[in-house]
Amino acid sequence: MDFSLLPKQIEAVFRENSLLAKSILSQIYQITPLAMQKLKRERIKIMNFCGSHEWTTTHYGLRYMIPKEIELIPGPGCPVCVTPSSDIENIIKLAMEGFRIYTFGDVFKLPTVKHYKKDEVGSLAVAKSMNADVQIVYSFIDAVDDAKHNKKPSIFMGIGFETTAPSYAILFERNKVPENLLFYSSLRLTAPAAEYAIKLHKDKGSIPISGVIAPGHVSTIIGAMSWDFLPKEYKIPAVVTGFEPMDVIASILKILQMIYTENISYTELEYKRVATREGNKYAQNAINKVFVVTDAIWRGIGLIPKSGLALQEKYSKYDAKEQLGIKDVPWDYDLPPNCKCAEVTLGMAYPTDCPMFMKACTPAKPWGPCMVSMEGACSVWARFGSVQKVLNIMDEVR
Amino acid sequence: MCWGVPARVISIDSDVTATVDFLSGTLKKVVIGVDDLKVGDFVIVHAGVIISKITKEDVIENINFIAEQIRETALMTGEDADKAVKEFLNMAMKILGE
Ligand code: SF4
Repeated sequence: MDFSLLPKQIEAVFRENSLLAKSILSQIYQITPLAMQKLKRERIKIMNFCGSHEWTTTHYGLRYMIPKEIELIPGPGCPVCVTPSSDIENIIKLAMEGFRIYTFGDVFKLPTVKHYKKDEVGSLAVAKSMNADVQIVYSFIDAVDDAKHNKKPSIFMGIGFETTAPSYAILFERNKVPENLLFYSSLRLTAPAAEYAIKLHKDKGSIPISGVIAPGHVSTIIGAMSWDFLPKEYKIPAVVTGFEPMDVIASILKILQMIYTENISYTELEYKRVATREGNKYAQNAINKVFVVTDAIWRGIGLIPKSGLALQEKYSKYDAKEQLGIKDVPWDYDLPPNCKCAEVTLGMAYPTDCPMFMKACTPAKPWGPCMVSMEGACSVWARFGSVQKVLNIMDEVR
Repeated sequence: MCWGVPARVISIDSDVTATVDFLSGTLKKVVIGVDDLKVGDFVIVHAGVIISKITKEDVIENINFIAEQIRETALMTGEDADKAVKEFLNMAMKILGE
């Protein structure tokens, strides 16, 4: 077999496969009433914790294909959406003071609540338009190479979840980072936020979450077993899931089965072609050697204990906050007026519940952080959520 | 930024970096984030780091997982489980050229 065929074959099985979609969907329709009886509820709420799952769900119109009793809700799975405004404000200030800033493209347009100097600079994009040296990079290695070459005092805006952490950790561990490049860590950990959201749904008296579509690529690093607290402590089925439409509906089917059989003892792994139960030990080792777990602020939400990563002391010469004397300040509500990003991120509201959605807030001109990244629920819904598009896809599959 | 993109390893350039082809002819220098990487390996790249290798065996395991769900649900709902699974597996294996 020609090895280069494999990606195409994966697409043919897991994406462009209306026969399989029909078969899984017909089984979902059969088992849903049984699962509802078991739960004694009229709705079954399933949450995803990854912006890419929200993308798959919305882009392929999966919500319109499954029984209406199943509610698929987006969760806190977008690092750009939850990076505190204060971090971006600090980076903007450093950019305006002359540092070269490296950032992922997603962060570039992120709006802040407080603006640098008299309402002028409210995003890195604006800072750049005012001649600040802001460089968009694809990855940390690109920034490392550039900083080595130009020798300018530089800062990397280090956002991301566990999936991005190894791209930083491996280069620090192997001493590949030049001393003129500081690192500003806004790294966040997904499991503590997931637990926070689960508790919130339980405590608020709304319909509790009955199943979790667990993140495929985060779990590739931390291992499917990292989600075992969901079945073990909360009796919630969790399935680590890939990012094609067949992956997502197969996982929904698995969750419904687990609800029906009440066989909920550990995390199931659907995304077997990429993730494992134990995770990527090579990456885990590097992360553990370079970073330390800290309490961290999530935008619009506040402090979540043990939900962030900071550089360990032995790497403090690279730590931007440490080196530049930037103090962590207590969290102050950090969303723009009327933005419901916090509720959207925690699955308490849909993007369309926000009065700003597609009015004052659009992908071209985001008002809140969930409209910026391709993984932000508002941005995904703005781009792919139109009912007509969804119905067309539905017709094709039927 | 959490997209994982499939790619193929073109060369291993140092103890920490490799060049991959994003299956479109676009070459990129990335960080090696897995053990035992070899030229020709098919990998998933996320934000400039290889987070996982993919083999045909893993894809088959993934397909078998879905087949198992189809079987279990068919048994629960009284359908012909063998028939449902056979139909799916035939189709999947045909795509894989097995
Ligand atoms: S539509 Fe815009 S303002 Fe409303 S919640 Fe989403 S990001 Fe915030």
